[in-house]
Amino acid sequence: MSYQEKSIAVSLVSHLLIVVYYLVNLFEMQQTGGLVSTKVFSLWAIVIVSTIIVNIIGNILTNILLSIVHAIKTRSEHVEKFIEDERDKLIGLKGSKVSYIAFSLGVLASMLTFAFGQPPLVMFSLLILSSILGEIIGDISQLYLYQKGF
Amino acid sequence: MDKYKVRNNVRKLRFNHDEITQEQLAEKVGVTRQTIIAIEGGKYAPSLELAFKIALVFGVPLQEVFSYELEGNEK
Repeated sequence: MSYQEKSIAVSLVSHLLIVVYYLVNLFEMQQTGGLVSTKVFSLWAIVIVSTIIVNIIGNILTNILLSIVHAIKTRSEHVEKFIEDERDKLIGLKGSKVSYIAFSLGVLASMLTFAFGQPPLVMFSLLILSSILGEIIGDISQLYLYQKGF
Repeated sequence: MDKYKVRNNVRKLRFNHDEITQEQLAEKVGVTRQTIIAIEGGKYAPSLELAFKIALVFGVPLQEVFSYELEGNEK
């Protein structure tokens, strides 16, 4: 597995954990009748901030950790150059495209729930969920492209 | 419609060119070793610029490194 693939795998696992946390909390709120705007807004805030932290800081931390692991494994002072070449950029672009398509479908679904008389909370919850699922689907498509080629 | 595929002789040329490693070739052309592996395995067709850089490293014309052939027409 290349550095890029490891980085995407870490991102994927983090996004999966976030979505599980979100769904579990949302389900609990619904079961206990606590699906009120203040609680749901704070849950959204946690999810959005976590996703931003994962996307930005996660990449930096992964780079540092992989450098350390590589140095320990090879016992070398040579610093591995983790460059992003044309293939990495192309796969990144294709992954982004898949993410946007998935997110767009999620937006459409959330609008439909509102159009069919569901409360705005449901629409916005679905919106947040589709944004994270879009990231997950984008990560999976990138890993697939790295393995199978194109 | 007939399906064509980009094929290459990168692995063979590497062995004939002082047996340079994938890592050394990657460094010379400015990509990662994984990209060279993907090119050799037919999983990635490089850009024109990268294809020319690889041909330049081996000192051969482009068509000796890469070819565009019908799928199933393997030599």
